[in-house]
Amino acid sequence: MRRVGWLFLAVLLVLSMGSSVAARDTLIIAQGTDAVTLDAHHSTDSPTSTVTEHISETLFELTPEGEIVPLLADSFDVSEDGLVWDLHLKQGIQFHDGTPFNAEAVKYNIDRILDPDESVTFRFLLTEIIETEVVDEYTVRFVTEKPFAPILAHLTHTSISMQSPSAIEDYGEDYGDIVSIGTGPFEFSEWRRGSEVTLVRNENYWGEQPAYERLVFQAVPEGGARMMMVQSGDADVAVRVPPHDIERLEADQDVDIVMTPSLRTIYVAFNVTMEPFTDPLVRQAVNHAVDKEAIVEFILGGVGQPVDAPVAPDVFGHEPIKKYEYDPDRAMELLAEAGFEDGFETKLYSPSGRYMQDIQIAEAIQSMLADVNIDAEIVTLEWSTYLDVTGLPQEESEAPMLMLGWGTVTGDADYGLYALFHTSEHVPDGSNRSFYSNERVDQLLDEARTNPDEDFRREAYLEAMSLIMEEAPWLFLHVERQVTAVRSDVHGLVVHPAERLQAAGVTFE
Amino acid sequence: MSKYLIRRLIMILPVIIGVSLVVFFMVRAIPGDPAQALAGERADEETVAMIRARFGLDQPLPVQYWVFISNALQGDLGRSTRTRRPVAAEIAEMFPNTIKLATAAMAVAVVVGVSAGILSAVKKDTWVDNLSMFIALFGVSMPVFWLGLMLMLVFSVRLNWLPTAGMGTWAHFILPAITLGMSSAAIMARMTRSSMLEVLRQDYIRTARSKGLAEFRIVNKHALKNALIPVVTVLGLQFGTLLGGSVLTETVFAWPGIGRMMVESIMARDYPVVQGAVLTVSLTFIVMNLIVDVLYVYLDPAIKYD
Amino acid sequence: MWERIISRQTRDVWKRLFRRKSAVLGLAIIVGFLILAVLAPYLNLHSHIRGDFRMVLQAPQAGHWLGTDEMGRDLLSRMIWGSRISLTIGVISVIIGAAVGVPVGAISGYYGGKVDIIVQRFIDIMLAFPGILLAIILVSVLGVGLNNVMIAVGVVSIPKYARLVRGTVLQLKERDFVSAAKAIGRSDAAVVFRHIVPNCMGPILVQSTLLIASSILWAAGLSFLGLGAQPPTPEWGTILSRGRDYLMVAPHISTFPGIAIMLVVLGFNLLGDGLRDALDPLDPRT
Repeated sequence: MRRVGWLFLAVLLVLSMGSSVAARDTLIIAQGTDAVTLDAHHSTDSPTSTVTEHISETLFELTPEGEIVPLLADSFDVSEDGLVWDLHLKQGIQFHDGTPFNAEAVKYNIDRILDPDESVTFRFLLTEIIETEVVDEYTVRFVTEKPFAPILAHLTHTSISMQSPSAIEDYGEDYGDIVSIGTGPFEFSEWRRGSEVTLVRNENYWGEQPAYERLVFQAVPEGGARMMMVQSGDADVAVRVPPHDIERLEADQDVDIVMTPSLRTIYVAFNVTMEPFTDPLVRQAVNHAVDKEAIVEFILGGVGQPVDAPVAPDVFGHEPIKKYEYDPDRAMELLAEAGFEDGFETKLYSPSGRYMQDIQIAEAIQSMLADVNIDAEIVTLEWSTYLDVTGLPQEESEAPMLMLGWGTVTGDADYGLYALFHTSEHVPDGSNRSFYSNERVDQLLDEARTNPDEDFRREAYLEAMSLIMEEAPWLFLHVERQVTAVRSDVHGLVVHPAERLQAAGVTFE
Repeated sequence: MSKYLIRRLIMILPVIIGVSLVVFFMVRAIPGDPAQALAGERADEETVAMIRARFGLDQPLPVQYWVFISNALQGDLGRSTRTRRPVAAEIAEMFPNTIKLATAAMAVAVVVGVSAGILSAVKKDTWVDNLSMFIALFGVSMPVFWLGLMLMLVFSVRLNWLPTAGMGTWAHFILPAITLGMSSAAIMARMTRSSMLEVLRQDYIRTARSKGLAEFRIVNKHALKNALIPVVTVLGLQFGTLLGGSVLTETVFAWPGIGRMMVESIMARDYPVVQGAVLTVSLTFIVMNLIVDVLYVYLDPAIKYD
Repeated sequence: MWERIISRQTRDVWKRLFRRKSAVLGLAIIVGFLILAVLAPYLNLHSHIRGDFRMVLQAPQAGHWLGTDEMGRDLLSRMIWGSRISLTIGVISVIIGAAVGVPVGAISGYYGGKVDIIVQRFIDIMLAFPGILLAIILVSVLGVGLNNVMIAVGVVSIPKYARLVRGTVLQLKERDFVSAAKAIGRSDAAVVFRHIVPNCMGPILVQSTLLIASSILWAAGLSFLGLGAQPPTPEWGTILSRGRDYLMVAPHISTFPGIAIMLVVLGFNLLGDGLRDALDPLDPRT
């Protein structure tokens, strides 16, 4: 009996530890992975950007509604020829270390990102800028070689954040490791690698002060574990709810499920230079043979929507163009017309665990294609190999069909179309992995890139996307949706379509 | 003895150099490179070339190896291509976590394994013996990661008694330590049992018995010490195995240790981290073996090394 | 004459083996899975490839005795088809390991001297290298897929064979029958492979049986890390690993493959233990 008593006590002890209520001066966010670096310029993934964007800020901001608004910038003028951009900065802002934020600081940051020795991954966002000048204390000038319409959209990218020049100079290679200094609402406090990053409120923030003191990002790779944490109150927010857990969590009164559109499109690229995908009829046939509605409903648990254009609905330039209805009979007709009434054998390359339910989607495509006599063998590779194999130049390319996703993080169709469909962007020079090439599309994309007129750009993108949809260099699948679990007493969390969380405005009930 | 020790110490160097060669060339034989892994879906050749140049990956392989090994001998393992942190710092942070976990697992293995082994030997051929040996066989037959998942399912998901993942309080240690320690416990149990049986057959035990000493005293005073000598060896070897085995356990429980770090670095083609971590683990393993051998001599004076 | 002696020995071994209940149990488990593996095509199972979307993540029920997976496929049929794969992985990777490890160990032990020293250093290096990482790196180099998993797991077991065979050869080479063979002018190769290696067969057999068990576990571990079979291959480790995402809503997906792996591995471990005891009548454990 006494032993039972002890056991009971032990259980109680453990239970009480498990359910201790987090103090309300702290917000805990459970992400899938730890930050890779705290140097915003070198951030390449969403969990890292989510952390860094609370520390340092960009000149412009892409609102969740898709609008570009000034953040550290105040206003801008652009010259008539579209080559000279004068940015007027907000005044009186300081970095966390006291360094003043001014035109010098902006120039320092832009130069650092463009410095080849620094090898910033997202450097290409700014390579159109040939010169950065300090005009006066609060005015900085960018000069581009050609007119470059998406420049403001590019400046909203989190890796183009403004970080303290003196901190970067002082810490050198250790910047982003032991220190990270920006102008943002939170200051870096502590980083326990592999488990959590802690930020504390910036008491001198130029904008509205956060209502709570500490912001903690925990790394919890296992989806199920993240959900349990938010259910038990060990975390306030958990990202990437596994589709099949949604129903269960919705039944939990303490947890709200937040669904947010994403800018990420999932597709299967056909290698249009490889038989039989050289024939648009075959590509269209495959598009008709795959039931995207079913994939979204059953495999993604409703978390997504079949695409109607090559870019996601929230991207500037998007128009609903067309959907390839699920119609196996039509697919068979098209195949017969193309001379493949008996089908053919091919290979479907798929990453595993990179995108939501990617292997499951590949398996579904495989079995749907089997219905129209297309025998597609699935080849999964781990991610780095996958990038390597699908990035081979045309003459070495060996993947006839390959699944990928593309997040148009700048919210501008240029980012979502140019690198994927322009002839100059065939891998390995760019990201056009289907080797699609169409002169008219190239011309439209070039024009839309250099003409700042919004209406003109919309027109150009509409025409380009219509051509692309018709010629079908992709099997168009779906746009992902972000599902986030949030404790119901947490308000004001912004889940950004660019797959980041903004927690500065959070209040507790 | 000291001569033997010196000879063994000298032997470490070629083995470590060998390990460094193997890991250096093998990671580079994997398709894909750090630059591409960093650049992701969006890979343009210019960026990739830039990143390669930055980390010296555009140099000929023998040059890269020379730079790596000569720096490593001075304690500089380079910088991670992914996080840009010094590899030594990464290891200094993650390795202790793995050691802690392995130690906890070892404790589980020793407590459970040795007591089960002794019990089995003393109660030889009874149902106690059969049952514990059968359980021990299950212990070595289970996939570790599955055991981890099942424990998590029962104790975290269903009962909500213990945390699912991560490292914080002592409660975080329980499930990973049991998971990692299970197969070692099973091996220890079998080892202890057979070694104990052997000792119990020895003459001096028979003498003790004939003198009418209580069985408990015989086991405790006379048999145990001698029976545990081979167990100590196994213990040392198991510790090395645990370090390697932590890879899967750390993955299941999101433990911030060197095992998970190595897997993630292989996936990200983070060559410097893979190299540094493998060297560290190998060196630890070799040194552990050496200590075990020395300890063995110390415990059992009958063994002599020339 | 030799043959008669060997066959008598074999008979004795079998007899001793069958006297041990645990070994018989092990053998029974293995034979049971073997039968399932062979009969898989004739059992009138649900498709193990093609799922039914309306039946995703169903708990065990009549018609789907082990439930369904996230693609609506019958888990029982996937498990039965999977038994073919796991048994094959175990056997093939052990064959790969033995094919390299046995000759290397034999040569190293027989010739001694410099050859031995060099071989031993290589083995030291392989043993010092964390085994699972060696396997992970090998599969990454060769590419994800079952064949490469078998190669990787096989390579990892090479030093274990080499060690074992070397030790046995060292004991045997001083024996009379070896000197006799040398005296009548047999070549080294003949001595090693005709006279010495056959006499190592006992320990090799025991080792192989136990290694099949651990190879299956290793392969499952690689699958768990996403380096195993190509979908939709119903490999147990892969099913288990994918089931992780549904641990909350459909724990059966991860539970059953784990049990299957454990049973098969247990079978080989029991058999291996039994064989060891049967081959070595003086072992104190008998």
